[in-house]
Amino acid sequence: MRTLIVDDERLARKELMSLLEPHKKIEIIGEATDVDDAFEKINDLQPDLIFLDIQMPGKSGFDLLEMLDSVPKVIFTTAYDEFALKAFEVNALDYLLKPIQAERLEEAIGKLHEAEIISEEKSRKTLNKDDQVFVKDGDKCWFVKLADVRLFESDGNYIKVYFGGNRPMIHKSLNALDERLDERTFFRASRKHIINLGWVENIDTWFNGGLLVQLKGGEKIEVSRRQAARFKEKMSL
Amino acid sequence: MNKRRIYWISQLGGWSFYGILQIFLYATAQQLDITHILGEVLQVGFYILSTHVLRNLVIKRGWLSYSWLKLIPRLLMSILVLSLLNYSFLLSYSFVMDELTGRDFLTFTVVLNVFGSMIIYFLWTLFYFTFHYFENYNKSLKYEAAANEIELRNLRSQLNPHFIFNALNSIRALVDEDPVKSKKAITQLSNILRNSLTVDRQRLVTFQEELETVKDYLALETIRYEERLKTKFDIDSKSVDFLIPPLMLQTLVENGIKHGIATLKKGGTITVTTVTREKELCIQVRNAGQLVQGKTNSEEGFGLSNTRKRLELIYGDQASFRIVNENKNTVLTEILLPRSL
Repeated sequence: MRTLIVDDERLARKELMSLLEPHKKIEIIGEATDVDDAFEKINDLQPDLIFLDIQMPGKSGFDLLEMLDSVPKVIFTTAYDEFALKAFEVNALDYLLKPIQAERLEEAIGKLHEAEIISEEKSRKTLNKDDQVFVKDGDKCWFVKLADVRLFESDGNYIKVYFGGNRPMIHKSLNALDERLDERTFFRASRKHIINLGWVENIDTWFNGGLLVQLKGGEKIEVSRRQAARFKEKMSL
Repeated sequence: MNKRRIYWISQLGGWSFYGILQIFLYATAQQLDITHILGEVLQVGFYILSTHVLRNLVIKRGWLSYSWLKLIPRLLMSILVLSLLNYSFLLSYSFVMDELTGRDFLTFTVVLNVFGSMIIYFLWTLFYFTFHYFENYNKSLKYEAAANEIELRNLRSQLNPHFIFNALNSIRALVDEDPVKSKKAITQLSNILRNSLTVDRQRLVTFQEELETVKDYLALETIRYEERLKTKFDIDSKSVDFLIPPLMLQTLVENGIKHGIATLKKGGTITVTTVTREKELCIQVRNAGQLVQGKTNSEEGFGLSNTRKRLELIYGDQASFRIVNENKNTVLTEILLPRSL
């Protein structure tokens, strides 16, 4: 696994690297000393995994995750921030407390191996259904698999992300997101909505040759006439 | 000694004294006879009984918490009633002893007697209420002192766990790289830990002791932050034997690192300066960074507000504390402490 270490302290990075040495599956492709540095390196190197410190100068580890379109596997490393990590609703993450115990590290890496199988030939541009996004809403945080998101709805400068019983907001534009989403899974239903085709439950005809799509979560989304033809074409395949 | 006992001792002692004094005064004026002595004894008994009734009334009705305006008419009324009863009792006694005369019913005699015992009752209530007033006052003082002590204990800065674990993590990495330095770091960390454990028992420490702790602390943070943290000390030699609250300078320095150095990619310098004036110690901590307006309260957090409260509790208004942007890239934190409390 191609791995990036993000920590502002040289000794902490060094210590982690020496702990990772026996794990042959972990290939360290770089180190970053702060959030901006890490952001650049993640976009450049496309690591599969990052070890991420939370407290760093200027911006925190959470800020980094919010900046990323798609988030690689993350293992947090922190000295004493359990309370910050408790914010996570979905336990899609692991964290290690510094000084790191070798056994705990092994366990965390072990969990990764099980989940690793998926990654097909990973395209850099498109986000497919197995990619995850990081969503933070006030005190709560989630790692969400795109496959679990049934609807993106634009709301001013934000996008509401519908998954499970939650609909937190992310600060992104719907158009930019649309360009990156895999069109086999996601469909731009209208100016305001992108729906996940896997979550469509029911389709009705609507005014002016449009369609009304009902999602498994109960949301009803209008598909404009212009998009309706494309939609029918997609759903019939 | 419990309050009940104090009450009975004062009650019996006071009234016996009163009775003896009465008999003594009487004896200087005329021949004592057994009727008179018995009369006095009964009189004292009546006073004890009646004031005890009055006490129960005061307690049951909660008069102790009344304002003067509400209290005085009630007391006067009770005293008047008791005095009238007292005189009736006296008359009954005279009647039984067959000493009742027409003189005893003259308005002048009645008023004089009733008024006399009213004064006695009044003195009794005066003692009773004065005692309670001082007792309450003492109680509230003691309570306040205890509350202050508890608050001070809570405010006492504790070592930041984040610091301890980060320090241990850096030291672990350092073991391979520089064994000598890592041994020294372990000693410094144990000094700080020991200090924070014993500090609970001390109200004040010498500036020298505090400075040692801070130096160890900064040495450890330098291992962690490496070239990002530089430290400077400019200590007035006369400041070493000043007494200061333990871990207070430490808190300021820690705060400077947490909100200053740690937020800067390039880091910066922490400078500790002291200046002594005649009866005053001025401690200044300067760190790279900027105070963000409006963020001060929540973000700067407990460290500084605790320091402020501690100073106020220990020194009242004799100490002062301020934190300001000294220039565009330096924050100055300053405390002024008096030499003695």
